[in-house]
Amino acid sequence: MLMLQRIGAASERLAFAVGLYPLLLGKVLRRLHKPPWFFALIIRQCEMVGVQSLPVVLLTAVFTGMVMALQSWVAFHRFGAESMIATVVSLSILRELGPVLVGLMVAGRVGASFAAELGTMRVSEQIDALWTLSTDPVRYLIMPRLIAVILMMPLLVVLADAIGMLGGYAVSVHLLDQNPHTYIRNSYDYLQLIDLYSGLLKATVFGAIIGLVSCAEGYYCAGGAAGVGRATTRAVVISAMSILMADYMLTAWIFQ
Amino acid sequence: MTSPLSQITQPKISLSHVYKSFQGRKVLDDISLDIMPGESHIVIGLSGAGKSVLIKCILGLLKPDSGTILVNGENWLELSVDQRLKRMACIGMLFQGAALFDSMPVWENIAFVLLRQGMAKAEAVERAEEMLEWVGLPGIADKKPAELSGGMKKRVGLARAICHRPEIIFYDEPLAGLDPVMSDVITKLIKRLHERMHVTSLTIAHNMKLVDAFSDQVSMLYEGKIYQQLSAAELRLSTDPLLRQFIEGRAEGPIRFSSEATDKADLNADPSQSRKSQTIFNKERV
Repeated sequence: MLMLQRIGAASERLAFAVGLYPLLLGKVLRRLHKPPWFFALIIRQCEMVGVQSLPVVLLTAVFTGMVMALQSWVAFHRFGAESMIATVVSLSILRELGPVLVGLMVAGRVGASFAAELGTMRVSEQIDALWTLSTDPVRYLIMPRLIAVILMMPLLVVLADAIGMLGGYAVSVHLLDQNPHTYIRNSYDYLQLIDLYSGLLKATVFGAIIGLVSCAEGYYCAGGAAGVGRATTRAVVISAMSILMADYMLTAWIFQ
Repeated sequence: MTSPLSQITQPKISLSHVYKSFQGRKVLDDISLDIMPGESHIVIGLSGAGKSVLIKCILGLLKPDSGTILVNGENWLELSVDQRLKRMACIGMLFQGAALFDSMPVWENIAFVLLRQGMAKAEAVERAEEMLEWVGLPGIADKKPAELSGGMKKRVGLARAICHRPEIIFYDEPLAGLDPVMSDVITKLIKRLHERMHVTSLTIAHNMKLVDAFSDQVSMLYEGKIYQQLSAAELRLSTDPLLRQFIEGRAEGPIRFSSEATDKADLNADPSQSRKSQTIFNKERV
C-alpha cells in the first residue's frame, strides 16, 4: 500500500511539473499574433544566446569532430576502409552530434541562465513589479528568450557542423595522413540535403524545448534562493533529458 | 450614464465578498471593503493573515475564488490581460523589497513606464532625476540597484511608483526591514506625497507608525476576515482585547497563532508539498 501511495504521489508530482510547460506555451501562443513584440529585447537575447554561446559550442564541435575522426580510423583501419572516415564524420556530425551536442551545451549555458534569472526575478517580486508597471511579463521576459533560442539554435548548429567537420579533416589529413582531396570529396559525395535539414529541424525543436522548459522553471519558481537553485537544476536536467528523447523520436520519424 | 454626484461617491476600490484559498486553507474569507477617492486605507494584521494576497488580488496578480473587485467602478476580473495592463497606468506599487530591476540603472527603473509610453530618453532621465531629488537621493541616477542600501532601494521604489502620477498607490509593508530613522524618512515622504498629490492609497502595515502618520481608515485582517474597520483615532481608543493586543504588540491575549503554526508544521513535514503549494500560488499568476 505504501509503495502504491508513493507511486501515486510521484505520478501526481510529475503531472503537476509537466503541466507547467503547456501552461506557459499557451500563454505565449495567445500573445503571438499581437504587438508589442519587443524587438530590441529579442536582439539582445539573440546576442546572449547566439554570440555568447559561440566559444563553448565551437570548442565542443571541433573536439567532437577530431575525436570522431580518430575513433573512426581505429575501426575502419581494421577493415582497410579508412577512406570512409570522411563520410562517417560528416554524416554523424550533421545528423546527430551537431544538433545534440549544441543542444546540450546551450541547455547547460543558456537554460541555466534563463531559469536562474527568471527565478530570481520571481522570488524578488520583479515579475509582479513588471505587471504593476503596465508591462506583460510573458511578452517582456518569456517571448524574447523563447524566440531567441529557437532562432539561434539552427545558426549555432550550422557553425558547429562546419567546425566539427573541419576538426575531423585536420586530424585525418595532418595526423592520419589521409589524402586531403579524397577526404573532401568523400565528405560531400555521400551526403544528401536531408542530412543537413534533419539536423536543423532537430536544432529548432531542441531550441523550443530549452526555451520552454527553462523559462517555465524560472517563471513558476518558488521558495526563495533554494527554489531558484532547484529551478535551475531542473531546467538543465529536464532540458537535457527531453533533448535526448526528442532526438530519438525525430530520428525515427525522419529516417523511417 | 452616471451622474457627477455618483462619480464623487463612487469608491476607487471596492471589494465585495472576496474569497481566496490555497489548497483548502482560506486566506481571504468573505472580504468586503470600500476605499473612497483620496482615502488612505491601511490594512493591519499578523504575518500570514492574507494582507499581501489581498493586494495581489486587487492588482490582478492573483485571481480570487469568488467575489467582485471593482477599481474605478470597473470589474478588472472581467477584462482581458491587455485591457487590464492599460488600466494599470493609474496604479503605483511600492513592494516590500522594492523589487527594482537589477539589470537596469536607477533612472531606467524609475522612468520604466514613461519609456514604455514612448517618452524620449533625455526627458525620461530628467524626470527620473526630479523624482530622485524629491525622495532625497540626488546624483544616483546611473547607479545599479545592487549598489544601493535597503533604505535607498525603498526610496527609489517609491520614486518609481509615483513617477507616472498614478491615482491609486499600494504600499506593501513600506517600513519592513528599515531602521527607525529610515522608517521616519519613508513615513514622512509618503505623508508628503499624500498631501501633495491627494492620491488614494492602500497600505499593508505591521507598524502603528504609519497608522498614526496618515491613515484615514484602518482595517484589521484576522483569520482571513476583516475583524474591524475604524479610523486611526478609534483604533487608538479601542478597548477590544484583540486590537489592543496587536497595538501593544503583546504575545499574551486572544490572538490565536495555532493555525499558522500548524500550517508551517505541515509544510515542513513534506518539502515537496511545500514547493507544490508555493508553485500553485505562482502558477495562478499572469
